[in-house]
Amino acid sequence: MQFKRSIGIIFGLIAFATLIFSAALIAVIDYRVTSKLDGVLWTVPAKLYSRPLELAESIEVNKDNLIKELEMLSYQKVKRPEKSGQFSFSRDKLTIFLRGYKNQRSGIFDITFEKSNVKSIKNQLGISEDLIKLEPIVIGGMYPAHMEDRVLLDWPEVPQVLIETILAVEDQNFFNHYGVSLRSISRAFLKNIQAGEVEQGGSTITQQLAKSLFFTSAQTIRRKVMEAIASLLIEFHYSKEEILLAYINDVFLAQSGKRAIHGFGMGAQHFFGTSIKNLETDQIALLVGMLKGPSLYNPRRNPSNATQRRNLVLTVLNRNFKISDSDLAQLKTKELGVARPNYRTETKYPAFHDLVRIELQENFNEKDLRTKGLSIETNVDPILQDALEKSIIKTKAQLIKKYGKKLSDIEGAAIAVDVSNGEVKAVVGSTAPSAYGFNRSINAIRPIGSLVKPFIYLTALDQYKKYNLTTMLDDSKLSIRSGGEIWEPDNFDKKFHGKIPLHVALWQSYNIASARLGLDVGFEAVEDMFSKLGIDKQFQNYPSLFIGSFELSPYQAIQAYQTIAADGFYTPLRSIREIKDTKGEIEFSYPYSIEQRIRPEPVALLKFAMQQTFERGTARGYSSEDIRSWNAGGKTGTSDDQRDSWFVGFAGEILVLVWLGFDDNRTTPLTGRTGAFQVWKNFIDEIKPISKAKTSLPRINYLWTDMNDGLLSGKKCKDSLLVPFIEGTEPNLIPSVRRTCSNRIENSDEGLLDKLKQAFEGGQG
Amino acid sequence: MNLLKLNIVIIISIFLYSCVANQNTRDASLYKVPVNDFSRTVELLIANKEFLESEIMKINALNPSIQRIILGADDFLRKENYPKANSELERAFRLTKSEGALYLRIAHLRYKQGLLKESESFASRGLLLGNISSWERLLLNVYLKN
Repeated sequence: MQFKRSIGIIFGLIAFATLIFSAALIAVIDYRVTSKLDGVLWTVPAKLYSRPLELAESIEVNKDNLIKELEMLSYQKVKRPEKSGQFSFSRDKLTIFLRGYKNQRSGIFDITFEKSNVKSIKNQLGISEDLIKLEPIVIGGMYPAHMEDRVLLDWPEVPQVLIETILAVEDQNFFNHYGVSLRSISRAFLKNIQAGEVEQGGSTITQQLAKSLFFTSAQTIRRKVMEAIASLLIEFHYSKEEILLAYINDVFLAQSGKRAIHGFGMGAQHFFGTSIKNLETDQIALLVGMLKGPSLYNPRRNPSNATQRRNLVLTVLNRNFKISDSDLAQLKTKELGVARPNYRTETKYPAFHDLVRIELQENFNEKDLRTKGLSIETNVDPILQDALEKSIIKTKAQLIKKYGKKLSDIEGAAIAVDVSNGEVKAVVGSTAPSAYGFNRSINAIRPIGSLVKPFIYLTALDQYKKYNLTTMLDDSKLSIRSGGEIWEPDNFDKKFHGKIPLHVALWQSYNIASARLGLDVGFEAVEDMFSKLGIDKQFQNYPSLFIGSFELSPYQAIQAYQTIAADGFYTPLRSIREIKDTKGEIEFSYPYSIEQRIRPEPVALLKFAMQQTFERGTARGYSSEDIRSWNAGGKTGTSDDQRDSWFVGFAGEILVLVWLGFDDNRTTPLTGRTGAFQVWKNFIDEIKPISKAKTSLPRINYLWTDMNDGLLSGKKCKDSLLVPFIEGTEPNLIPSVRRTCSNRIENSDEGLLDKLKQAFEGGQG
Repeated sequence: MNLLKLNIVIIISIFLYSCVANQNTRDASLYKVPVNDFSRTVELLIANKEFLESEIMKINALNPSIQRIILGADDFLRKENYPKANSELERAFRLTKSEGALYLRIAHLRYKQGLLKESESFASRGLLLGNISSWERLLLNVYLKN
């Protein structure tokens, strides 16, 4: 009796303990189920996008670059586009079947061109459309530690055919069970025996979700029990629609490098380069078929397995009366239609990413970036970025060929920005641009050499009552005491050039004349100009600053040049346009902001002198026609002992700055022209800038002047040049030796004609 | 036959003449604002912001594609959804930099956002365009006075 009681108590205790243990286990699993499904599953990394390309009637485009962009976006060139993601191109006509992006609907569009302008855009009904937008390229993401990448779908975005296919293949009884279904297991068993292969799994969709969310793939009884409990709990807490949606967003479909592709939204992007709503039945069948073995049925790696599996899924759909026999026969003959791996599905522009991160850090915390599914629309132009990367690689190879292996570890940085709005279009931080590492575009602080001179000259030209472009500067020997030492600057050619007009001193980049000019305008005025240009750096009063000992990073230097290229309007450079939440609402934006800091007329004079760098200075080699249509201007820079080679130049709406040098600061055989300018040239030759919008400055007059003495001259006189002057500052003296070649009446008529001509040709005026 | 041809030529000529004669020259650049009236008009526009806004919104872009974007921006501006109005205007600026209508809108938008210095700078930038009408020039000048 006693024994029986003891046994009873023991069993009672065991039962109680089991009950407590089970309750605790269920509570733990319940907590994990709810916290994971309510939170972690819905964490989506922020995605970085390139700028979307828009085409509009009457807008100038570079057709070659447009085709390159279509190729980047995995558009397929065909004779006649019939499917989304295809295009055809003849000399003056592009026909494209757009995939659709946000407000841009999918469909066929005919774009005709007249020279380099878009002449018309018509839809397939022949009706004119004002604008079309290509989808942007994904250039990377802010992935969390587990590197899961997904595009969350909401219930209305899930195509019916996807739901039907998933249910037909994975769980036909989904809406009738409570998470675990003995009927499903037995039916799957029978079907698989009939088919002679595994057509259906026995686990319900809820079980698969539970397994994917909480457990390893180990086939143990303990795991199966826990999975079953979790499934029941999921069914208890969530509706069938919520469970199915969680499944659709969570399933693992592929591994791409370190990135794990989860969910059908991301799967559609990854394999077909488009959103799920644009997929056809066969494509959905392929994705659903992959669930059984994402690696085995990966259409890129194992296309024949993937085709077989897709056809099996299509057969299942046919058996379930979801597609007809004729559809089945037709769909089975289709190719897989998988897009090339998206050109930029991985993070590929590391230097640009650095810039983006710096801007983001000011307004977002790391966690939000990794979890909130933000869309970060950047300003990167993939065409320009690729061209800049190629240019720096190509130039390095050319330099090694020319100067030998001593340049094998030469480094470089380059930045391209939009002149007017300060959008950063491309950034390269190394001569191996695709590798992560030291980003010289932001972090290399180097002496800028002669790149400083336009800042000094602009300081002078801003005092326009005292200086104009023909003010004579003194380029004779200079010797001054600075910091207890005698400072005697040299010219690059080691010669003195006597008295020369100001504009000549700039495009010839004479050091001594520039140093004298700097001393004449004074440190205070130069410091003020630095600040107006956007240079936010401690200024020290030493004269060598005037010829380039001042140190800046390429990014700081191009900010100052942006103000010059934009006619004196300072615009903070920005790599990001907007950040949108998952609903497409603007969460944060980086608006176009400008501040007029310098009058446009002195800047126009400086830009004229910088244009001479192309016409006759250190960047010569382009045709006058190109230089004027681009309204190009530039400046080379070489620091002491040729340790740094710089070039900055604007052409059309693009401003590009390039630096080359060694990380350990040793000397190079390069000047600004032989080094950095070659990168610039390779880049500009590749992208072929479009012409610049003309500006009008009524207070600027053009006169023929002599390039040696700066006095008035005539078109037919030797060494004469048409030079701009701010009204009221023009020279009025003509030397007697030039009276015959510069008949003043004729000259003034010619001046007017040339001014008109210049205005039409795109010069300042 | 010759008489028929002559009649056709006469009818076509009359038609073409009537088309030309009925054309209403609405090009804003032909409206000259007398210098004396210039300051007075600017003062009037400054004093009446609603009038100013309605005048700004009457300025169309030369390019119809840009005009379509501008209409969207105007809609957002009226609803005081400034971020979206800005987003649309920036979109248009990426397509062209030579539309006075864009500089007017963005100067006005910045003014409404309370960014007066920026508003003035955008107006100054717009004034550098070579292809703007004298009425656009006058309207841009309003933001310099503001």
